[in-house]
Amino acid sequence: MADKPTPEQDPITSKSYAAHYMIATVILMATLFWALWDEAWGQRPWKEFQEKWKDRYSAFLNTARSKSTASEKDVEKNPQYVELSAALKTATDNSAVAAKQTRDKLDDASARLLAVQTVFTDRRAYVNALTYEWETSTSPSDKASRQKEIDAYKAELATVEFPDRSKKKLNFQQLEETYNDIRDERTRLSLELGDVLKPATDARTKLDDYVTDHMVDLTPQQIDGLKKKTADWDPKIVQINVAEANIVDRCESCHMGAREPLKITAADMTPRGEKKPDEYARAFVSHPEPELLSIHDPDKFGCSPCHQGNGRATTSVEKAHGNYEHWLWPLFPKENAQAGCQTCHSADMVLVSGDVQFSTINSGKELFRRRGCNGCHRYEGYDREPEDLNNVGQQIKQIESQKIDNLKQTAYLMKQADAAESNEEANALNTRAVDLRVANSKLDGRLQQLDFQSHSLMQDMKKIGPNLKDVRLKLNKNWIPVWLKKPTDFRPTTKMPNFRLNNHQIRAISAFIWQSGFTDTLPKHKLGNAAHGKELFESRGCLACHSIGEGDQMKGGTFAANLTRVGEKANYDYLVRWIHNARERTRPYCPYEKKDIGPEDYAKKGLPYQFDLEHSKCPNDGHELQVQNMTVMPSLRLSPEDAEDIATYLLTQKKQDPSAYPNAAFMDDPALKEEGKKWVRHFGCAGCHEIAGFEEEGRIGTELTFEGSKPIERLDFALSTEPAQRGGKESEPIKDNEDLARLPDGPANKPWYDHKGFFEHKLAEPNVFDQGMVKSETEALRMPNLHLSKNEILSLTTFLLGSQETSLPASYQYKPGDARHDIQEGWWVIQKYNCMACHQIIPGQLTALMGLPQYQDAQEQLPPKLLTEGARVDPEWLRKFLSNPALSTTDTNRNGVRPYLKVRMPTFSFSDNELRKLVRFFQALSQQPMPYIPEQVPVLTAKETDMARSLFSSTAAPCLKCHASGDPNHDKIATAPNFLLAKERLKPDWVERWITDPQAVSPGTSMPSGLFKQQNNQWVFAGPTPPSFNGYTGDHRKLLTDYIFQLTPEEQRRVAASMPRAKAAVQTPSDRRHAALESHAAASGGSR
Amino acid sequence: MDWRQLWEICSAPDNVPIVALIPLLAFYIYLAWRQAHANDQLIGQLEADPALAKTHHRKTWPFKPGWQKEVHVWPFLLRIEFLGAIIVTIILMIWSITLNAPLEEPANPNLTMNPAKAPWYFLGLQEMLVYFDPWIAGVVMPTMIIIGLMVIPYIDTNPLGSGYYTWKQRRFSISTFLFGFVILWVAMIIIGTFIRGPGWQWFWPGQTWDHNRLIYEVNRDLPDEVPRWLGGPITSNWAKGVFGAIVVGGYYLIGGGAVYSLFRRRMAKDFQRMSLLQFSLMAFLWLTMVALPLKMSLRLLWHIKYVWITPWFNI
Repeated sequence: MADKPTPEQDPITSKSYAAHYMIATVILMATLFWALWDEAWGQRPWKEFQEKWKDRYSAFLNTARSKSTASEKDVEKNPQYVELSAALKTATDNSAVAAKQTRDKLDDASARLLAVQTVFTDRRAYVNALTYEWETSTSPSDKASRQKEIDAYKAELATVEFPDRSKKKLNFQQLEETYNDIRDERTRLSLELGDVLKPATDARTKLDDYVTDHMVDLTPQQIDGLKKKTADWDPKIVQINVAEANIVDRCESCHMGAREPLKITAADMTPRGEKKPDEYARAFVSHPEPELLSIHDPDKFGCSPCHQGNGRATTSVEKAHGNYEHWLWPLFPKENAQAGCQTCHSADMVLVSGDVQFSTINSGKELFRRRGCNGCHRYEGYDREPEDLNNVGQQIKQIESQKIDNLKQTAYLMKQADAAESNEEANALNTRAVDLRVANSKLDGRLQQLDFQSHSLMQDMKKIGPNLKDVRLKLNKNWIPVWLKKPTDFRPTTKMPNFRLNNHQIRAISAFIWQSGFTDTLPKHKLGNAAHGKELFESRGCLACHSIGEGDQMKGGTFAANLTRVGEKANYDYLVRWIHNARERTRPYCPYEKKDIGPEDYAKKGLPYQFDLEHSKCPNDGHELQVQNMTVMPSLRLSPEDAEDIATYLLTQKKQDPSAYPNAAFMDDPALKEEGKKWVRHFGCAGCHEIAGFEEEGRIGTELTFEGSKPIERLDFALSTEPAQRGGKESEPIKDNEDLARLPDGPANKPWYDHKGFFEHKLAEPNVFDQGMVKSETEALRMPNLHLSKNEILSLTTFLLGSQETSLPASYQYKPGDARHDIQEGWWVIQKYNCMACHQIIPGQLTALMGLPQYQDAQEQLPPKLLTEGARVDPEWLRKFLSNPALSTTDTNRNGVRPYLKVRMPTFSFSDNELRKLVRFFQALSQQPMPYIPEQVPVLTAKETDMARSLFSSTAAPCLKCHASGDPNHDKIATAPNFLLAKERLKPDWVERWITDPQAVSPGTSMPSGLFKQQNNQWVFAGPTPPSFNGYTGDHRKLLTDYIFQLTPEEQRRVAASMPRAKAAVQTPSDRRHAALESHAAASGGSR
Repeated sequence: MDWRQLWEICSAPDNVPIVALIPLLAFYIYLAWRQAHANDQLIGQLEADPALAKTHHRKTWPFKPGWQKEVHVWPFLLRIEFLGAIIVTIILMIWSITLNAPLEEPANPNLTMNPAKAPWYFLGLQEMLVYFDPWIAGVVMPTMIIIGLMVIPYIDTNPLGSGYYTWKQRRFSISTFLFGFVILWVAMIIIGTFIRGPGWQWFWPGQTWDHNRLIYEVNRDLPDEVPRWLGGPITSNWAKGVFGAIVVGGYYLIGGGAVYSLFRRRMAKDFQRMSLLQFSLMAFLWLTMVALPLKMSLRLLWHIKYVWITPWFNI
């Protein structure tokens, strides 16, 4: 290297660096331009978006405009339009002369004002500056000299040159007066002009309104406005800034179309000639749910509170969407977008908003409860009863010990008083003792309240799985181990998940469960009639919750168990009891003593062995007992014979004989019991089941309330961490084909190291992250496989993603204090008892029963729709009805309101707490004020009663033809409730609306519409009215309503007797509906 | 070989300077070495030819007639410096356009990052924490490094090699520098950047940084490792302190003797110019520097945690 020969020329002075400089300078310049480009465009990719937006949106508006012009032409052809435009022309012409005069005057005034203003504002500014000097000067002499200066300046004359070249010299005060005068004059003239132009302006507004009302889309003028806005657009950051919530969202810098008034699809924004919408086209679409935006005004809510992502970032799409390592709240994927709802609406069980479908998040929230997730995982808002009950229990204990302390203290004080030296002292001590006694009596009152509360809570507390204390009474012993092996093998749609138990665990668990069960005896029942049982099963409404048949054959609801093979496992006597009243418990449980109470406990106190909601006190300690099975299954108020028939039918539902199960004698082995107990605790069986000795067992899983905001490092991907970050086909850890099919997006391909990937994989195959790890029986993951479908996993993942600790202020959380809170609370109860399987509560909602074949031709046999229930019924009546749907204490094997329905409104034995929530829910849902004060119905005079009766029994509208009247023969074919209920049950104003247009209140009802027509601001009967109505000016509708509310049973019987009914009796219900409609149509022919 | 892992480490904006450091360091050492070699040849030439030595004013090449005797700063130095300035500007601009500042999410006190690494220029110090207690690695050693650097002009008694590159005239200084900077400082930065993964465990380049990795490694203190036939293991704290003092003191005594004999034999001229204070200071600092890799190898190869254990500090 250094052995080169010495150069001839001086190596320092002779060397030229020109080439080096040349190259370096060129590179430097290039870098400089690169930096400039990067500054202007590279770091501001939204500019490119906005350029593209201008091109594409303008093109789109052009096509939209031509369409709009065409439809405007159509509107312009309307005679009304022609009339309005003629009126406009006349009005404009009429006011033209006057308007021109006023306008001229106005222009003159404006010009003069300008002339004065120039001089005046200049001088005023100088005066203000001097005044400031005066105000801030401190010495009196200084102030005096300033004052002099101001006065002198104000007195100085200034020249004003008016537009007509005349000049005036004015001092400051005159100047100010002149200025104000001219300004007032101008204001007056403007008003005058407005008055002159008013007819023309009004005509113009009318015309415009007409066009807007009659155009489906925007008018050409509106589109022109948009076009101009687009053409004039200068690239700039579009930002929503909400200071109170610290929201800064610049999303609309690229998503320019999000809030445009036109519906923009990706196809609209795709440049001509291209088939697939590119990145830009997909970014420019308008928000898919404008209705949501109108509720959540983006100027208040921004974008990121719902969608997440990094609202401030503008340097790249990845940054803005937050899809990079260091942004903790990446954009929710499109399919999980509803996760955003959960961040603020966690208190809502059901989200409804007009037509917007929230099926994903709603079903996620519902699945979390329905599949028993909350048995293991705490989640704020779910299953609050055990915690509340625990709380109440603590308070009771505290108060009781307080009472004992007080008693002791009282005795002590009395003793002291006896030994006191002076009278005063003795009196003082006595007073204190008396005070303590009073305090104790107050505590007794509080205790009573707490007992009520625990009574309600105990009633509300439900378990998702059956009570396992009853296994010996209920189950085929040999079936239990087979079931535990893999529940889905026996019943593919069961809620019971697969716990991956090994044979040893199965043996131990079944032995423990079996040996810890009740050994009481059940009353024996004789077998019933299976055919009748089948009929009852299919008609009483069992299928709203239960299903029967497997695979394609399956029909019925998915809320409760599929009963296809129930005959293999169930014990007949138990089944009868269960069907008759599922809440009937074998032995009551005392949470205070933590044990099941038996007849011996009652006998000790000499009490009869009787326990139900009215007899719910523990014989040992007087605390509230759990007297019901903790199931949501209601009582259908069947007769014992009917229950036997259904049970007999269900026993026939089997694929193999119960005796075919291998003998499981090991379940009586006491050695296995202890081990079984360990496994039952380990797997958290008590989360879903009631098990002896596990009544107070806590949840074994992690709390999920804020699972979505858990740092990704806290989600244990175990050996899948690296593959998940890497992505690719081989990164998919799930090998089982069944589990693989559960993944909403199919097997992994892209990197899936995020919350979504974790939740989806965990739900599809819970122990997937145990894969490849060496784990002992007790270390292996306990979470069972819930055999969820793709959609269910999508819903639950969405729910979990949205389960976030939000940084938004508390006011953004949807926790209303008014009636909307009642709606929130109510939905939890509605969903808990699966009310929507029978009743339609949201418009368009389908019920489980609607899908059944037996109702396809008998829609009127479906349970009533509850769309306007709150407006319809008296809340106090509703409370009574819900607690006893038979509306009778003796005749209970029937429906109270609609005895003609085969399907039965069951008795849910709601607690007072839930009754209140339900009643308030329906009232709030129909926007009814609470409390409800019933409207006074005026008493009808004899003449009015006669007239009303003639309407009531009119051949054009024979009310009693369809409505039940109490006559058993007639009621069999009736399709509407008895009028006698109306007085207590209905709200008069609703009845008026109802009889006017039933179809508008409850679409599809068999009650005919058009019974009344409007005449002179009155509703009069549409059919022929009897002569007694001549000269009557009152409202017929109101008359009939008042009559119905005053109807007595005798009156109804009289009217019914006078009506020809023989014909109606032979008709089928659907025929009758047509007949009613036709007869009514004929009657109201005139108005048709 | 996990190429993705390697790429993730090398491409992290934090680590790019260190990746660049490796070739740059090699290049500049090569450049200095070449210059030193040329100078050493020239020195030989001039020493052999006293006449030439008298006329020579320039470095690197012997003077030739026709060459300028003196070269002006302007333009001959400044033009090169300016060229350098342009090139550095280009590099900085490209760097700032292409690599953004490595900002991360807001700090979360409930979740610390793993591995948590100091900025690259402190990674050497962080790596030292593995081998010493924080008091030694974090306070004593950095202080000694700074003092040592400040002291160099006062203990360097070699008048040669000032202002030009040479190897022959400054073998001891240059090898000490190369050892202390390249071998110790830079190597520890490289270890800290590329080798230390989650849990500050040792991962070879290309090995996946697996957060779940478990390794078996037990480190013991030297006093516990004293063999039975020597009366070990030492259990009392007092004895441990004495034992450690003897070992460390012995190292400095024996090492001091070795440095003494090296200077006496190889650098007699320099040694003669040195006072006792200068020499002992130099020997102490030099031995302390050498102690670092010795301690590192004790730890890495023989799993020795500490040698000298006292209630106040551990070495």
